[in-house]
Amino acid sequence: MLVPPHGGRLTDRQYEGSEAEDIIKQVKNSALLTLNAREKNDLEMIGNGAMSPLEGFMCGTDYESVIDLMRLAAGPVWTLPVVFAQKKGDPDVSPGDHVGLKDVEGTIWGDMQIEDVFQADLIAEADKTLGTIDDSHPGVMYLNTLSGTYIGGKIRSIRRRKTESFQNYRLDPKETRVLFRARGWKTAVAFQTRNPIHRAHEYIQKCAMEIVDGLLLHPLVGETQAGDIPPDVRMRCYEEILKDYYPRTRVAMSVFPAAMRYAGPKEAVFHAILRKNYGCSHFIVGRDHAGVGNFYGTYDAQMIFDQFDPDELGIVPLKFEHAFYCSKCGGMATPKTCAHDNEYHIFLSGKKVRAMLIDGILPPPEFTRPEIASILMEAARKGDN
Amino acid sequence: MKGLVIWIRTEDGSDEAILDKLGTEIEERGGRVEVFHSKAVENLGMEKNDKAKAVACAMLASHGVVVITSGAENPSIKSGEKLEIRIIEESDLFNTAIHDSFIRDLELAGLVPAPKYDVHPDEEKEILRKLQDLGYLDD
Ligand SMILES: [Zn+2]
Repeated sequence: MLVPPHGGRLTDRQYEGSEAEDIIKQVKNSALLTLNAREKNDLEMIGNGAMSPLEGFMCGTDYESVIDLMRLAAGPVWTLPVVFAQKKGDPDVSPGDHVGLKDVEGTIWGDMQIEDVFQADLIAEADKTLGTIDDSHPGVMYLNTLSGTYIGGKIRSIRRRKTESFQNYRLDPKETRVLFRARGWKTAVAFQTRNPIHRAHEYIQKCAMEIVDGLLLHPLVGETQAGDIPPDVRMRCYEEILKDYYPRTRVAMSVFPAAMRYAGPKEAVFHAILRKNYGCSHFIVGRDHAGVGNFYGTYDAQMIFDQFDPDELGIVPLKFEHAFYCSKCGGMATPKTCAHDNEYHIFLSGKKVRAMLIDGILPPPEFTRPEIASILMEAARKGDN
Repeated sequence: MKGLVIWIRTEDGSDEAILDKLGTEIEERGGRVEVFHSKAVENLGMEKNDKAKAVACAMLASHGVVVITSGAENPSIKSGEKLEIRIIEESDLFNTAIHDSFIRDLELAGLVPAPKYDVHPDEEKEILRKLQDLGYLDD
């Protein structure tokens, strides 16, 4: 049996076709509130069950509990607020109101039955969830754009498949669960990524695959910051490497439509819990997972998992070091398995690789497989990365 | 699992069928359940009162068992580290929405197991067809 969803049940509040049209009709004469990019990603993931047990944007009690105790008020572990901010120019609303949720272009993506309108201390939120109030942190920058008033309540989300990117790779949690069962997997490890695949990632994924039944490649395609490699380039890399280097029946690839919060350790736990909802029993946590700049310690995102009872997390973090090719070992290794000095290690920083690609220099095959390097080089020439 | 006493407040503490029904529901999910009828207190040779019942239930529940019982008054015992007491009016158990949200809260608190399936079996078939169409099951 697969690992149960977080909190026991998968939320299912996503509608399409005629049911979606009904929602649109119902909000026709209601107030419409505006979703920003992150909230639109969140709405989708609450609706499709990825954020189970959440059924809507958080009310004040859950928000306070999450920030202070890393738990929902009802008990389950939850490390980051999932909130809807009141926007300038939107109508005033109160608990009891039924409102539509639209994007900046005016397209309706769902509705909300408002239960709570509350004031938040955004500086405290930044400090407690991001661990910093430094304005150069992208998460703090985001909070600085908000009013400080949040609106909570249960949502319904609308799915429009035809407008989505990566249509063949959009699996909801219930779909990955059915897929895993169809393949006979009882355990699966999720790999979250916002990078193209280099040999180091491949090595870590394959180490993990040795101990579980299958691998869910789960590239994040929600809102990220400028400078990250665009999702379509990353997806092309993965499609390419899956052709020849992975056993087909042991890997599934699907996109993870979450927005990055760059909250480091707390986001690592958040990412793990969401993957549990997708049916994964294990989650790969690298060094500085979901980190940005120098805001978090190298191992913070791994150590935070020790603060929780493994049973209440319900997903096992697999903590990995950076991997490299060691010419003395004659293979891929990490500081955990290799006894040799750095001079034997082939390791390039992201910055260095980017510079090489722009200059038309192929990274060594021990670092990046040539098939992947050529995709990256083409993208670099076009100015995509 | 932390122990749980579900204390159903009834008018005269006499409707025992509702206890059994709730017990079966939790048992079917794989919970360890003990339904503690009012008669059990007498059968134990104790005085028939809510206090004796509460103490007996708390002792059972502290071993991680879900104990379901009823009483006209609120129980004399309190929630603690090993034991959680949840009280519900009998009439509320007949209201589907309140009943569901009461059980859902217990699930979220990790006090009773969740339903056994994550995807409804009918929907599972539909999803399999979709996965086939997307090429996920080609191999
Ligand atoms: Zn070595």
